[in-house]
Amino acid sequence: MRDYWLSKLFFDLQTPAVADEYRADRAQVLARYPLKPEVRAAVEADDVSALAQRVNPYLLRFYFLMAGMPEDEFLRRIRENADGNIAREAANERS
Amino acid sequence: MAKLVGVYASSHGPMIVRNWDTLAPDERGRLDAAFSELGARIKAAKPDVLIVISPDHWVNFFIDNLPAICVGVGEEHEGPPEPWFKAFPHRKMAGHPALGHHIVKTALERDFEPSVSYRLALDHGFCIPVWKAGLEPLPPIVPVILNDLEPPFPSVKRCYAWGGVLARAIKTFPGKLRVAILATGGLSHSIGEPTMGRIDEAFDRDCIRRFEQGDAPALFDFLDERLPAAGNGASEVRNWVAAHGAARGRGFELIRYDPIPNVYVGCGFASWTLT
Repeated sequence: MRDYWLSKLFFDLQTPAVADEYRADRAQVLARYPLKPEVRAAVEADDVSALAQRVNPYLLRFYFLMAGMPEDEFLRRIRENADGNIAREAANERS
Repeated sequence: MAKLVGVYASSHGPMIVRNWDTLAPDERGRLDAAFSELGARIKAAKPDVLIVISPDHWVNFFIDNLPAICVGVGEEHEGPPEPWFKAFPHRKMAGHPALGHHIVKTALERDFEPSVSYRLALDHGFCIPVWKAGLEPLPPIVPVILNDLEPPFPSVKRCYAWGGVLARAIKTFPGKLRVAILATGGLSHSIGEPTMGRIDEAFDRDCIRRFEQGDAPALFDFLDERLPAAGNGASEVRNWVAAHGAARGRGFELIRYDPIPNVYVGCGFASWTLT
């Protein structure tokens, strides 16, 4: 399931001028999108795990590259999320 | 009447351009050899028009309007918009409206309803293979966007049938044209997922073997079972399946396969011997 406005934000940020504006003043660009509070909070916190569940993976990867997160850090965070999910599933099975 | 003079497939991937200077000499050499052979085969076929089947990487379409298949019928297409792909030599590329419209007409007669665009931007999926293969002068292109990027996807079986539609359209086109088909994308790769960077070499080699065996139903079964676990980018093998359908499921020949972790892609190149 995709979050439409989050996806639209990431899609629009492919336009270099919008990306420049976003990097200069993130809040000003975010104000134009009716994001759910928890989604906006995830964006503001660079929460890769939370955003990964709401947007196409190609757009997710593009977004964090555009926002300046080093690829190694992006990979660490998204893999950490997957490892966490596996650990949680295992714990649920045991309980 | 037009003639199908060649069917080809090629991987693509932004890292082939963005990371080119940091690839190991051996990696660059293997990619250069593959693209060079691909280009030589396409040029030897002397196509007047090239139908290129590729996904749209969030350039023309979004989730407010996401066609399964779109045929570019315009006189002209935009060059790649990716900021890192300024080296691509064409800001505009010629289309072939007559063939594009004939493909759409043929599709409707054969129970396909593709969307139509008079102006597409052709992203790296289209442009890396034609550029690296050295196709200059670039023949007019009829772009076919097949949605491999955002579910729901067209079935593998349907993609094969779509290739048959392309072959039929070429055969019935009322004009003397030499037409080649180039499918781009695949083989296994994973982008923006926890498995990003993983290449499923076992899948890729099994997949190549299925194409070589020429048993279309077996290929469908294999891909239905294995594609979902081969990384989201592996979905682009659907384009290869369309090419396979255009070649009536026979004559697949691997040009080269190299899993190249620094470009994140199991890089495959192929052509079909037409009978």
